Amino acid sequence: MLHILVVDDSLIIRKNIKKYITNLGHAIAGEAKNGSMAIEQCKELNPDLITMDITMPDMDGIEAVKQIREFNKEVNIIMVTSHGQEEMVVSALKAGAQGYLLKPINEEKLAQAIANIYEDYTQELDDELLDDEFLDD
Amino acid sequence: MHQDNTPSLEHEILSPLIQRSISFLKEDLEIQVISENIDIILPNKIKLKKNTAMLGTGGNVQVLISMGYDDALLAQVVEAFLEGEAIEEDEREEIQESVSCEVVNTIVGNALKNPLDGTTLSITPPILISEAKSLFKQKSSQIAAATITTEFGEMLVTVVGPKELFSQTFNFKEL
Repeated sequence: MLHILVVDDSLIIRKNIKKYITNLGHAIAGEAKNGSMAIEQCKELNPDLITMDITMPDMDGIEAVKQIREFNKEVNIIMVTSHGQEEMVVSALKAGAQGYLLKPINEEKLAQAIANIYEDYTQELDDELLDDEFLDD
Repeated sequence: MHQDNTPSLEHEILSPLIQRSISFLKEDLEIQVISENIDIILPNKIKLKKNTAMLGTGGNVQVLISMGYDDALLAQVVEAFLEGEAIEEDEREEIQESVSCEVVNTIVGNALKNPLDGTTLSITPPILISEAKSLFKQKSSQIAAATITTEFGEMLVTVVGPKELFSQTFNFKEL
């Protein structure tokens, strides 16, 4: 079970993402309405995963991810945005996000975005284990 | 585009917004659109819907985009977003405002790219215009608008920008 921080300035999006997280069997670590709050919440709650909106007042999601990466390299981050252009995906990934979720969001899309990250993570662990086995041999 | 290849507010901005609004209503919210042949008008003045949310685009294409709804349509859009979940009556207004803003954010983000180079068009966080009134065209500005009629009422999509798109920030024809 993952502890997930939900960051979005939209009340309805926070509400829906929290519902999907619960339905998927994960826990809500906390929620934030903007990038500055997200940074504070990340320091305080140390979540496993963050869903991070890009367009927010005060501090946008890409800037927040950059600042979070200065003190936390471990947390996984899925960017949430309405922009479909490849350029925006690249900016988000360059900033330090692992995944990307295009609005409108539904439970299936969120589940897939989480699975993509944790399958990658599982694959990395499997690869490490395989390497260790070869080394042992 | 116009015959002289100058990008126009109605073709490069409003048309993709209309198409995405229709598909969003039909496919994502399951709201029936009565007719998909939408007329674009270029009025001097336009009366906005009471429930209207607005945002701006940044960079070298600066326009204001608003989307407004009849009460019954907004109520249905809210219900679709809630996906059957019950809410307290005292949070209904805040949820309704949030949904209005979210719809314009999603449609604009999904539909628009920079007509000049195809890159992402940056958008501001949306704002709600409570009890919205009218927009008036100024000398160097232009208003383009379209009404989408659904089974629950109308959605008004309005774009305000420079008369010749881009002419206030750069000369498109030289590129």
